[in-house]
Amino acid sequence: MILSLQYQRSPARYLASKGITSTKPGRRFAGMVAGNISPLRLVNLPAPDLPGEGWTRVVPMLSGICGSDLGLLTGQSSPYLSPVTSMPFVPGHEVVGETLDEVPGVPAGSRVVLDPVLSCEPRGTKLCRWCTAGQHSRCDHITTGRIAAGLQTGFCADTGGGWSRRFVAHHSQLHVIPDELTNERAVLVEPLACAVHSVRRVQVPATSTVAVIGAGTVGLMTLLALKELAPDVPVHVVAKHKHQQDRALALGAAAVHQPDRATRAIRRTTTARMHVPEFGSEFLLGGVDIVFECTGGATGLDTALRLARAGGTVVVSGMPSGSVDLTPLWFRELTLVGAYASGQADAETRVGDDDAQPDAESRSRDGGRGVVGRKKASEERASLGRDRRPEIDGSPTDFHIAMSLAASAPLDDWVEPPYPLRRWREALAHAIDAGKLGSVKIAFAPGKD
Amino acid sequence: MGIRDEIQLLRHGRDWRGRSTVPRSADPYVLDDGEREFPTDWARTRPGRVARSVLQRGLLKPVTWSQTRPVVEGVEYLENLRGPVVFVANHSSHLDAPLIVGSVPRRFADKLAVGAAADYFFDARWRAVASALFFNTFPVERHGQRRLRSLAVELLDEGWSLLLFPEGTRSEDGWMSAFKSGTAQLCVSRGVPVVPIAIRGAYAAMPRGRNWPVPGRPRIAVRYGRPLIPVEGEGFRELRERMMRAVARLNSEEDLGWYGALRADADDTLPLPTRRQTAGSQAVPPPGWRRIWESTRPLEDRRRRRVWTW
Amino acid sequence: MSRPGFVLSVDERTPPLLVHQGEGFRLERLPLGTNVIYPPDSLPGIRNLDAEIARAIHNPIGIEPLPELLKPGMRLTVVFDDLSLPLPPMQTPDVRQRVVEQVLELAARAGVDDVELIAANSLHRRMTPAELKRVVGERVFRSFFPDHLGNHDAEDRDNLVEIGKTEHGEVVELNRRAMESDLVVYVNITLTAMSGGPKSLSVGLASYRSLRHHHNVHTLRHSRSFNDPPNSAMHHSYERMKDLIGEHVKVFQIETTVNNDTFPSSMGFLNKREWEWNLADQAAYVAVKRGNELLPARARRKIWQSTLAPYGVTGVNAGVPSQVHPITLANVHRQQLTEVDGQADVAIFGLPYICPYNVNSIMNPILVMSLGLGYFFNLYKNKPIVRQGGTAIFYHPVPHEFHPVHHPSYIDFFDEILTESTDPVVLETKYEEQFATDPWYVQLYRKSYAYHGVHPFYMWYWGAHALEHLGEVIFVGGNRKTTARMGFKAASTLADALEIASHTVGRSPTITYQHTPPLVMADVR
Repeated sequence: MILSLQYQRSPARYLASKGITSTKPGRRFAGMVAGNISPLRLVNLPAPDLPGEGWTRVVPMLSGICGSDLGLLTGQSSPYLSPVTSMPFVPGHEVVGETLDEVPGVPAGSRVVLDPVLSCEPRGTKLCRWCTAGQHSRCDHITTGRIAAGLQTGFCADTGGGWSRRFVAHHSQLHVIPDELTNERAVLVEPLACAVHSVRRVQVPATSTVAVIGAGTVGLMTLLALKELAPDVPVHVVAKHKHQQDRALALGAAAVHQPDRATRAIRRTTTARMHVPEFGSEFLLGGVDIVFECTGGATGLDTALRLARAGGTVVVSGMPSGSVDLTPLWFRELTLVGAYASGQADAETRVGDDDAQPDAESRSRDGGRGVVGRKKASEERASLGRDRRPEIDGSPTDFHIAMSLAASAPLDDWVEPPYPLRRWREALAHAIDAGKLGSVKIAFAPGKD
Repeated sequence: MGIRDEIQLLRHGRDWRGRSTVPRSADPYVLDDGEREFPTDWARTRPGRVARSVLQRGLLKPVTWSQTRPVVEGVEYLENLRGPVVFVANHSSHLDAPLIVGSVPRRFADKLAVGAAADYFFDARWRAVASALFFNTFPVERHGQRRLRSLAVELLDEGWSLLLFPEGTRSEDGWMSAFKSGTAQLCVSRGVPVVPIAIRGAYAAMPRGRNWPVPGRPRIAVRYGRPLIPVEGEGFRELRERMMRAVARLNSEEDLGWYGALRADADDTLPLPTRRQTAGSQAVPPPGWRRIWESTRPLEDRRRRRVWTW
Repeated sequence: MSRPGFVLSVDERTPPLLVHQGEGFRLERLPLGTNVIYPPDSLPGIRNLDAEIARAIHNPIGIEPLPELLKPGMRLTVVFDDLSLPLPPMQTPDVRQRVVEQVLELAARAGVDDVELIAANSLHRRMTPAELKRVVGERVFRSFFPDHLGNHDAEDRDNLVEIGKTEHGEVVELNRRAMESDLVVYVNITLTAMSGGPKSLSVGLASYRSLRHHHNVHTLRHSRSFNDPPNSAMHHSYERMKDLIGEHVKVFQIETTVNNDTFPSSMGFLNKREWEWNLADQAAYVAVKRGNELLPARARRKIWQSTLAPYGVTGVNAGVPSQVHPITLANVHRQQLTEVDGQADVAIFGLPYICPYNVNSIMNPILVMSLGLGYFFNLYKNKPIVRQGGTAIFYHPVPHEFHPVHHPSYIDFFDEILTESTDPVVLETKYEEQFATDPWYVQLYRKSYAYHGVHPFYMWYWGAHALEHLGEVIFVGGNRKTTARMGFKAASTLADALEIASHTVGRSPTITYQHTPPLVMADVR
């Protein structure tokens, strides 16, 4: 029997949580909702069985609390996702752990980080077109195969999850990490990979202007990824809290703005025109080329849509919640780009990048960032020799870039001292108010008592 | 800051009337605020009149009549008199006004305004309020530029009768002094009748300096005379002379009797006050202490005895 | 006969004195020995104003009487001061209306058809139709609005003309219509000694290209003070421009001055000296103060902003600007000048709710700074009332509030530029151009009711001389964040402020309190 935090199916509790947190005053009680109303329980469960060949038991050493977990627990996540999960499950997909079984490429006792997506390979199904192309985050087979439905480890009834003392993972999900990489840094690899992925979902020419809405974990990591992949591009970060602003500036943001002043400030630097509708917030005519929405809230996406220039791009990085006025999307002919989990540089982007001459030209004109970035990554691959799939079709994986970033970036105080599982309510409340409390990432140390 | 603190701060350095002392350095710049005029209109509004009527009949007259023994004569002369008139009386005591107000027929009392010295009655606010309330006083300037600009004309035109003391001040010694011209000018210009009134004994009862009648219910004679109507072409000096004579004659009635006073008038031996001591005047008033001595002599209750001795 | 201004020395018998503090006021017990500068009593207004206007128009100085200048078929442009004058706005009828009506009366009689009325709003926000109507009156408004009555547009390139350069190389670019008229009649209100005269046209109808020659840190640091034209580098520049304008177009300037009846009778105590307050004044003080504090902020602002001054006009004079203006200045001085002996270590100013740039609007922190360190600090002749390196204590809450329509560039200036630097020179060299040419600001200035993008910079330069002169600036009751952003200090009480100041001026500094409004200009000897 292992100690686990288990999420059970309970439409009533889900609706109650949703009801409370979808009102403004109720949002203050999000911590209470996550701890007391959500159907999460600390229980002793039988350890999950190995589903088959190539799977290993993993003992989590650190398990991060992700924004999507909190969305789930506060009732903010969309019911859309319910068919691609299977309950009850143990949450936790930002995991650094130790393997117990020998699997191909990962000796027993390796320190690993988890790429949580449960795509064709773990499921033992025939590879779908995406998995063939290395873009397993787009896998179409996440509901079939030898394990129960579940888009990721941490949402699947059969695998267990990071918020417990034991779970199972397929060797294709595991990335062995070098000894130099501390657990605290390693636990950030998965979210970093997502951030890298979101940046690689779009082309960021050196002449463009970029805004990042939100400076929580996702926002800061997106900034980090942007600075890694497109170092010359000025990035405006909209951050609510002082420590977030300081961190963003330290990471090389061109400017940080309070949310209520962001539109004005960005208007000025982009010499756009600002207009104030009779109802609702102000928007720009002109504005930034690419906006990364990293708050996961409707307000953040709304701001993002209002800040983007005509024909600009809005990347939705955070798991969205709530509904948003899409008029600017239509009116300014914006491109709305989703960025889920990690994988490979966008298929189209990558193909264009490598093969199509004009695009290749534009990249080199923009400072050859794509090429340089890739070169740098492949050089670093040597030092990270144990990673089995540093690149696919000549392009480094998001995870690979994330891994090198985790080793080099100034991430020292990003992970708070981890909580043991039995203090889960405290941990969740802390995570919900992380920005306010000056924290970036809250994690469990499931092994701790 | 709470309202208490606020008021405390505001009150700092101010007296109970809210006046502040002038800072030393501001002293040369103090404005001469001679322009103040206390409003008395309110006393002539309907509520003012009702209140006054109640106060006069319920408080003023009973108190005066209980502290003194007034004898009122000659009210019958007023019987056929209509409309605004000017009562003029000699003035030797604060009792004068209550005595007249208490003895004049009601139709006059209800529409009577009393001229009061602006510099005395309207100097202090409480005194102005009290006198306006009890007597319907209006300010009369005794000195300076604004002397001529009085409410009197306006009040007469509005139908108010006036009670004026043409001497301009209470007598120092109980003797009548010369009338000032203002009253006569007013009556001549508006053509209103003048009712002369003489008051004897008020000086004895409550002279200057006292604020309550002497004990023992002293007798006071209040005599009304025949109204004097300004005749065509009469100048104010002539009218003033007539007023003065009439009051002096009524005054002498106390000593000489009615007929005696008439005779004295005809013989021109009335003790008339004059501005200058003219050699030809027969009745040179006695000097100094004797004047006071005479005017403080208690009045004999002569009337009753006269009935018996007739 | 109204009394002259004087300097009160606070002694034991001095009651607490009134201090303005934004949209409110308070009584303050100033330390013994504090010198308090009071303005002269309000001068009596001209009784028959219309006759006086007619007299001025028919007997101008240095130019033919107006009727002789008006010819059929001529181009006549009537320019008038915008809503930044006077403060608070004047009870209607505005004296400008009376003057303009008489001018137009004459123009009509002379058969002038081509008449244009322009508000000399320079880079100020446009006046709304209602505001225009208030200034020129119903009759003029109906006859000329909107085609021939409007605001000067300093960004309308088609309607600007460069008439030349002064010998100092200053570009003079003004409103084309005015410059190409046969006659410009300027109708002015001179509230402080700064306005009027050569300033009227060279600022009122200018563009940014032209304004930058006198509205800059250098001239303002050398304007000691800008309310004393002979000693003001800014005014020297106006003078040079005026000569050029004079060669170009015929200007008939009608200047008016007002007295010190700044507050309506319901707040009459604000016009009186404290020791002369009677019970009614005191009751009014408590009632108005409490009522004011109990009101919601929005209602309070509305009430203050709808306060109208029952100004009396103390002088109407017409002629060529250079010759009328000295008379006007004499009139201003007659009403405002008070002689003061020597400078103090500490100067105290109570900042009221209004300055030239927040009529019907919100007084934002930048405007507070410009009112305090600009206007009030510069209400002096000869020397500032506070010594070099001394402390200025201002009373104002300095709330972080901006009018989003009227002051858009102020918001950016405050939130983004002042965080970089508060040094006027740095701001000028690094950011002025950017704000001045920002197309959005230009658009809002032209089409909405916004102050020009560069205007907050001018406001900051306005205080440049004070920033250089003062050792310390403290706001009593000021919002800590906003004052800190501007590089100033906040204190909750006067005692605290003096405590802070003691580091620079010692424990027993000499103090001067400039008791204004009503306006007083200190002639420091």
